[in-house]
Amino acid sequence: MTPPKEPIKPEAMLDMLKRTMPFQVVSDALLRKLATLGWQVNYESGAVLYDVGDKADDIFIIVSGKVEHALEPGVHARRPVQILGAGDVFGWAALLNRYPSRLAKAVCTEATEIIRINGDELLRILESDPDSGDVVMSRFATMITRDYTVPDLIAQLRGIHRKMHSGDIQGMSLTLYRLTQWVKSPRPYLMLIGFVLFLGFWYLSVEVWKLPRFREMPGITVVITEWMSKDPVYGLSIYTPEYYKHIGMSVWRVTQAFFLATIIGVPFGLFLGWSRKFKEFVFPVFELLRPIPVLAWVPLAIVMFVSTESAVIYLTFLASFFATALNTMLGVESIDESYVRAANCLGASKWQVFRHVIVPGSLPFVFTGLQISVGVAWFSLVAAEMVSGQYGLGYVINTSYTMVRYPTIVIGMITLGAVGYITSAMVRVAGDFLMQWRVRELALGGR
Amino acid sequence: MMGAVQSRSASAGNRGAIKIDDVVKIYDPAGAAVMAVDHCNLDIDAGEICMIVGPSGCGKTTLLNAIAGFHEISSGSITLDGEVLCSTAKPKAEPGSDRIVVFQNGALFPWKTNLENVAFGPLMQGKASKAEITERALGMMADAGLGGVEHNYPGEVSSGVRRRVEIVRALMNDPKVLLLDEPYRALDSLTKSVMHEALLEIYYKNKVTIFFITHDLEEAIFLGHKVAIMTTRPCKPKKVLTVDIPHPRDYSVLTSKRFRELMQETSEAVHEEALKAFQAGEKEG
Repeated sequence: MTPPKEPIKPEAMLDMLKRTMPFQVVSDALLRKLATLGWQVNYESGAVLYDVGDKADDIFIIVSGKVEHALEPGVHARRPVQILGAGDVFGWAALLNRYPSRLAKAVCTEATEIIRINGDELLRILESDPDSGDVVMSRFATMITRDYTVPDLIAQLRGIHRKMHSGDIQGMSLTLYRLTQWVKSPRPYLMLIGFVLFLGFWYLSVEVWKLPRFREMPGITVVITEWMSKDPVYGLSIYTPEYYKHIGMSVWRVTQAFFLATIIGVPFGLFLGWSRKFKEFVFPVFELLRPIPVLAWVPLAIVMFVSTESAVIYLTFLASFFATALNTMLGVESIDESYVRAANCLGASKWQVFRHVIVPGSLPFVFTGLQISVGVAWFSLVAAEMVSGQYGLGYVINTSYTMVRYPTIVIGMITLGAVGYITSAMVRVAGDFLMQWRVRELALGGR
Repeated sequence: MMGAVQSRSASAGNRGAIKIDDVVKIYDPAGAAVMAVDHCNLDIDAGEICMIVGPSGCGKTTLLNAIAGFHEISSGSITLDGEVLCSTAKPKAEPGSDRIVVFQNGALFPWKTNLENVAFGPLMQGKASKAEITERALGMMADAGLGGVEHNYPGEVSSGVRRRVEIVRALMNDPKVLLLDEPYRALDSLTKSVMHEALLEIYYKNKVTIFFITHDLEEAIFLGHKVAIMTTRPCKPKKVLTVDIPHPRDYSVLTSKRFRELMQETSEAVHEEALKAFQAGEKEG
């Protein structure tokens, strides 16, 4: 049925594309790539290009001639029938998100020259340059709603970013996608420069320039040699089992304290935000206890608990609990009143409102609280371990100080930084996992 | 055409008639009594689209909140199909699924997918099994042209789509009355015109009374059977206009002679109130 394809000169094609609305602003480089996709077909008057329900594969650009374009009634276009002329683009169903089939009938009303471009190939090229691709697609969307008067519901185009950003990709693949984007951006290299500057300053000031006060500090080469040594001078390196015992002990204590703080703090915060009465008699006491520093609790904690272990966990738990509870309460209070009203309108009981509106609505704040919570847990843990306890990274730092093992202090510090960072990242990943709606919303940039 | 429409509202005539009788609402922040609604009387027939037009901050939303059961009234009464919702003796109505509000800024739960939002009402009320409800929700969404966005979150679709999902969520409960509080305020005019036709289409399929607050006179005359122009605070009807353009309507109505006549007839009244509101220094919102 289709008349023979005719080759088209790239320059002529380029010219044609530049005159059509969706491609006007695209860079020449991208246009040249697009120009290789098209081919020209000449039709006689009366030729049916496609009919409603046909498979939508190509988009069409009129070089010369006239085409009658009639959208089917289900599309709800305000002006369903239009006569198209030179420079007009149609056949955009090939780019729609949900309709792989034609929504209109297109008939040539006179002899017509047309350029056809395959929709899938067009998208593939546009994806090679997502920034311009986005412009082209949004121009297509404007054209469909404005020139073809089609409701925006139907005019949902296949996305350039959409493929990567939302819809089918979730969780793990999203993380991977972010990682590749991150590597492509300048951020990791700036970060690297930051590290180099910091470590370079450490090296130069301590070991090369031997600045006053700095020269007593352990130098970077000393610390790294000690850390990586199979036979460490001061007894602690990545090859000694004690090193891992200290890390394990600290992680185990933080884990216990963090989960305890979460299990108690989240429901406590939810009730604080949910029940005015509960808040009125609990919150003043809460606010009085919250500013007391963990160190001030140390003596009482030792008196209160028989075992040192429980005292250390109690101290670690305290600050975490306050951060979690307070943020959860703020989360409940941040929920827009109209969500609660809407739920009431829709017949939800008080408990259902709590379960379906209050809990999910406060989740973003809860996770902010948990991030802070895991940070202060490490902070309090080290303070507690310095005062009492055996094993643990805080204990390592404190005993190394009394026994004048300076490189070991730094090893303890760096390890704390790394382990603390990992735990905090784990909380963030858990938050993203539980709040897919938010991840997807943010990925779209709040469209 | 006219006859067909009348028979349609006659068949819907047994559900959703609202009678607002002498309603007064006085806010009393810090002892300074502010009258928001002043002896307001308004009858809305069953199955009618009643547009409430007035300057921002005039007390239209106070009236809506009283019907929905979010706020108390000071005196008077509001009845729905002869049943008292609220009165001087019982100042606050019970919120219920027979009167569903579509909020100004939208209140789809962002943490639920569009489908879960639509299914929310019947699911909470335990009206049917989850499978049955889901199937009905999918059907209603497809009918409203929302096929394809069921499993997206509200934050992923355009604001026009969100509004339609919210209206479908309301209709899932088979309400007597839809209460719309300037639902299209934040939309651009292109989307707005599409939304108007979509709303009418939904309305023609579901016989439901619509109480629609707006400050856009064109929107009011295009959509409404009846347009109540409210005075600036305290709020009461200044003029109630019956729009005698037959339903079903489409956008060609906007350019018709009768439409322009009605616009002329009412725009003076609206402008007068807007001026008063401006002079009184009422803030937008």
